[in-house]
Amino acid sequence: MDRGDVGELVLSAADGDAAAWKALVDGLGPLVWSVVRAHGLSDADAHEVYQTAWFRFAQHLGRIREPEKAGSWLASTARHECLKLLRAARRWTPTDDPQLLDRVSEDRTPEESVLDSEEAAAQTERVRRLWQEFEELGERCRQLLRVLIASPPPSYQEVSAALGIAVGSIGPTRQRCLRRLRARLEARGTT
Amino acid sequence: MSGTHDGFDDDAFVEGEFTEGEWDTALLEEELRQAAAILDPVPAGLRQIAVEAYALHDLDARVAELTFDSLVDAIPVRGETDPPRMLTFRAGEVTVDVEVSAEGLMGQVLPPGPARIDVLSGPRAHARIQADDMGRFTGDAPPAGPFALRLRTGEDLVVTEWLRA
Repeated sequence: MDRGDVGELVLSAADGDAAAWKALVDGLGPLVWSVVRAHGLSDADAHEVYQTAWFRFAQHLGRIREPEKAGSWLASTARHECLKLLRAARRWTPTDDPQLLDRVSEDRTPEESVLDSEEAAAQTERVRRLWQEFEELGERCRQLLRVLIASPPPSYQEVSAALGIAVGSIGPTRQRCLRRLRARLEARGTT
Repeated sequence: MSGTHDGFDDDAFVEGEFTEGEWDTALLEEELRQAAAILDPVPAGLRQIAVEAYALHDLDARVAELTFDSLVDAIPVRGETDPPRMLTFRAGEVTVDVEVSAEGLMGQVLPPGPARIDVLSGPRAHARIQADDMGRFTGDAPPAGPFALRLRTGEDLVVTEWLRA
C-alpha cells in the first residue's frame, strides 16, 4: 500500500470493497501496533487497544471527514486509548509498572524460524543485538523510533498523531535517537 | 548532543539530499524496521480480527459518541478501589447511560422507552437484552475486550462508540 492510496482505499471500503479494507489493515495495521507498543502496554492491553482502534475505524468508515488522513485518525485513536489505560492502571494499581510487562512476543513468526537456521545464525544474532540496544534507549527515543519503524513507514503527520508531538520536532529527534543507537552499537562492537 | 565524533567514516557515500550522517542513520532505521518486522510484528490473530472488523461497518446505524467516561472525567473517590465505570453516549437526541462493573451492565436509554439492545464484542453479538418502558436495562458484564451496544428503538438504530470496558 502506498501512503498516497489511503484516501482512495477508505472511500472504496466505505463503498463495500472488502479488498480495500484488507489493504488498509495491512498498510496501517503495523502503524497502529507500533503505537500500542510505543506506549509500553502489557500484551493483553495492547491487543485490546489495537482491536478498539480498528472496530472504531470500521464504525466510522464513511463518516471520516478526511479519508486521506485515516492513518493519523487510527494512530490518534490508539494513542488516546493507550493513555486512558495507563491512567486507569496508575489510579488503581499504582505499583504495577506496565513497562515491565511489555516483552517481545514469544510467538515465533515464520521469518524468525527461518532466521534460526544455522547459516543465518550470525544475522539473527545481529538483529537481536540491534533490538536489544533499541529497547534500552531512553523512553522518548524508544517511543519515537518504534512508531517510525512501522512498515510501511508512516508519514510525519501520522507519527505526530501517534505520539502527540509536533511534526517539526520529529526529524531532529529522529536523527539524535538514531545517532545514539549507532553509538551504543559501536560501543559494543556491533556495527 | 555530545561533542564526540560520530565515527561515520565508511567512505563518502553522499547521495541526493542526504548528508553522510543522515544517510547512515537512514540505513540504521531501515535495519531497525526489518528487526521490528521479525521480532515484534502485528500478531497474526490480531490482523485477522481487524480484517473481520469490516463487518462492523454499518451505514444504517447512527454512532453514539462517548460524551462522559468516569475513567477520564470523574474525580477518583478515595478508598474506592474498583468503582463502576460510568459512561454516557449521545447520538442526536438519544442518550445512553451505562454503568459497567464486575456484576454486570446497568443503564438507561433517554428519552425513556423500550429498546432492544445487542451487546457486541467484536463483529458478533454477544448477548441481547431488553430495555423496559422507562428505558432501563440490566445485563451480564461484557466479556473482556472492546464492546459496544447496538440499540433499536422503533425505527431508530444507534450503536455506541467502541470502547474497552
